[in-house]
Amino acid sequence: MSTAPLQWGRHFVMCPPRHFGVLYEINPWMSREVTVDPDRALAEWEGLVATLRAAGATVELMEPHPDVPDLVFTANAGVVNATIDPGEGTAGAGQFVPSNFRHPERQPETAVNAAWFAARGWRADRLPDELDHEGAGDALPFTPAGGRTVLLSGYSFRSDAGAATALSTMLGCPVRPLELVDPRLYHLDLTFCPLDGRRAMIAPLGWDAYGRKVVEALVPEPLVLTDDEALSFCANSVVVDRTIVMPATPPRVGRLLESWGFAVVECRVGEFLKAGGGCRCLTLALDTVLSEPPPAA
Amino acid sequence: MASETIEVTGHIVDSLLLAKILDSILDAGCDYEITDVAIGKTSLDPSRARIDVTGDDEVLGRLVDELQVHGANRVALEDATLVPADRDGVLPAGFYSTTNLASGVRVDGTWLPVENAEMDCALVLRDGRARTVPMHRVRAGDKVVVGGEGVQVQAPSHARGTQMFEFMASEVSSEKPKSLLVARVAERLRAARERGGRVLVVAGPAVVHTGGAPDLARLVEAGWVDVLFAGNGFAAHDIESNVLGTSLGVSVEEGTPTEGGHANHLRVINEVRRHGSIAAAVDAGFVTGGVMRACVQRGVPFVLGGSIRDDGPLPDVITDTVAAADTMRAHLDGVHVALMLASTLHAIATGNCLPAGVETFCVDINQAVVTKLADRGSHQALGIVTDVGPFVRQLADHLVASA
Repeated sequence: MSTAPLQWGRHFVMCPPRHFGVLYEINPWMSREVTVDPDRALAEWEGLVATLRAAGATVELMEPHPDVPDLVFTANAGVVNATIDPGEGTAGAGQFVPSNFRHPERQPETAVNAAWFAARGWRADRLPDELDHEGAGDALPFTPAGGRTVLLSGYSFRSDAGAATALSTMLGCPVRPLELVDPRLYHLDLTFCPLDGRRAMIAPLGWDAYGRKVVEALVPEPLVLTDDEALSFCANSVVVDRTIVMPATPPRVGRLLESWGFAVVECRVGEFLKAGGGCRCLTLALDTVLSEPPPAA
Repeated sequence: MASETIEVTGHIVDSLLLAKILDSILDAGCDYEITDVAIGKTSLDPSRARIDVTGDDEVLGRLVDELQVHGANRVALEDATLVPADRDGVLPAGFYSTTNLASGVRVDGTWLPVENAEMDCALVLRDGRARTVPMHRVRAGDKVVVGGEGVQVQAPSHARGTQMFEFMASEVSSEKPKSLLVARVAERLRAARERGGRVLVVAGPAVVHTGGAPDLARLVEAGWVDVLFAGNGFAAHDIESNVLGTSLGVSVEEGTPTEGGHANHLRVINEVRRHGSIAAAVDAGFVTGGVMRACVQRGVPFVLGGSIRDDGPLPDVITDTVAAADTMRAHLDGVHVALMLASTLHAIATGNCLPAGVETFCVDINQAVVTKLADRGSHQALGIVTDVGPFVRQLADHLVASA
């Protein structure tokens, strides 16, 4: 069955890895004993930018900052709720909810991200200080064909369950909290990758039984990743229309995606995997539209 | 047992968060009651649930901390307002009026369990303990709870997996096989005894009229009754039937009226008054059998509450009703089962003093008695509509024969 492609994923913000390195350890993948090769990291990152642009996406850049090496993972900047231009039908500056990072190491990123968005006309809405939430890393929308957009929000390792309720009120979008249970899959975007209106890659390894049921009820045709496939980070992929840019492509997954009509492009980002991040983590979509106009009375 | 109130808001239904929280509570061995719930109409509307969680103190604390991970937060609660009574026997205006359910009072941020649940009383704090106190027992300076803030009442648990009142499909059971009910009551008495609980019997004169007194005496003698509440009538007719063989002048054996029998109970009461007390009359050999004698001989305490209709009365009858009620209260500690046998007024009076957790069986030929008991707030009462004489006989056969 053919389904309309994702309505978002044509416009991203990324941050060059000029100051990137594994300087602290806040997830099981990070080890300060591992050295990052800065030249290779930059080359991999540039390769990803080129791949996304070649797939038809616009990529904007954020100036890196020496104090915050993980700024390169722009997915964690916040939750983006773009506004549709009524004339052209394109997504533009709207609402931005900057992340409240759990780890002190990443907390200085919030001000940098907020400033970048404010300078471009986005309205910043802050979560209450006591609620942690790590942006698109822990919040991905799924829009079932013909249905309403639902934001899935991961919680436990980096984000609070209560943030889902606050986000829902702020964004005007149903937000379903999913508990993440495997510390290796510490963000939702390592366990879930929406592909179109019927399909998504899902990694049940990362969720409890309730979360699995919630996703099964939402996604009509899931590509269920085995544990090994999930731990390859293949769910941390970027979908641009019918192209899927993947940090790793387990053979079974690649074949399935191609049989569904997707073009699969593998983009090696090994230097970033050392910090526990893949392709999706390095990008933040600027064209996700979460609020829907109220139904006509 | 401790309890905490938590609240969870958001898309808790679609995300199965509510189900997960409730499952977690049960998995931890705690119990819950959803005291308030508002389910959103559309997928965008948030839902909200307020949940009372009860369980072992230590487990509960850990559980509630864990539930915070899922976004369920402790509801910030106020302490109870305490106002000192300004004179003896008078409560401060706006005093909290109790139910007969297990309750707690929040003082300085901690929940104190109410030690003796009783309906229609005040909640008083003395020496860091919370107790129910009837109006007349309040003393000037007692700290009395005013308003409903800081008071938590535990709804009666329709506990999962317990067999407590499972056979009680309807409250009043006029159309149930009686022998089955008797067997179940006997089971409950045995179960209470195994838990170390005491058994209270409240008996009306009809127990004697219907020939049930010798069987009740068997139960007392065999140790199945720990305390007896009755009135002047029951005790007088019990003694009359043993001394003169009649109850209210009617031969207990023959069922026929006897010559001058209408005054039999008066003559018996008169003689007991001559002895000074029922115990003295038993010791002197005047009372040769029956329930009262069994109580005296086994040392089972009895409380005889008086009324303005009483003949005599017997010297043991407490004619000051307030003092009688206080004496009854003093015997309720540790009572797990109450058997109300053909007594309307004493059953209701006793029901008023009993915590809702006491298993209460009300046996009466008149369905209205059971209904009345429940209407006065003793909702825990199970009614058995039957002739009390055969009921007591069967119960004694179950318990004494098998003892």
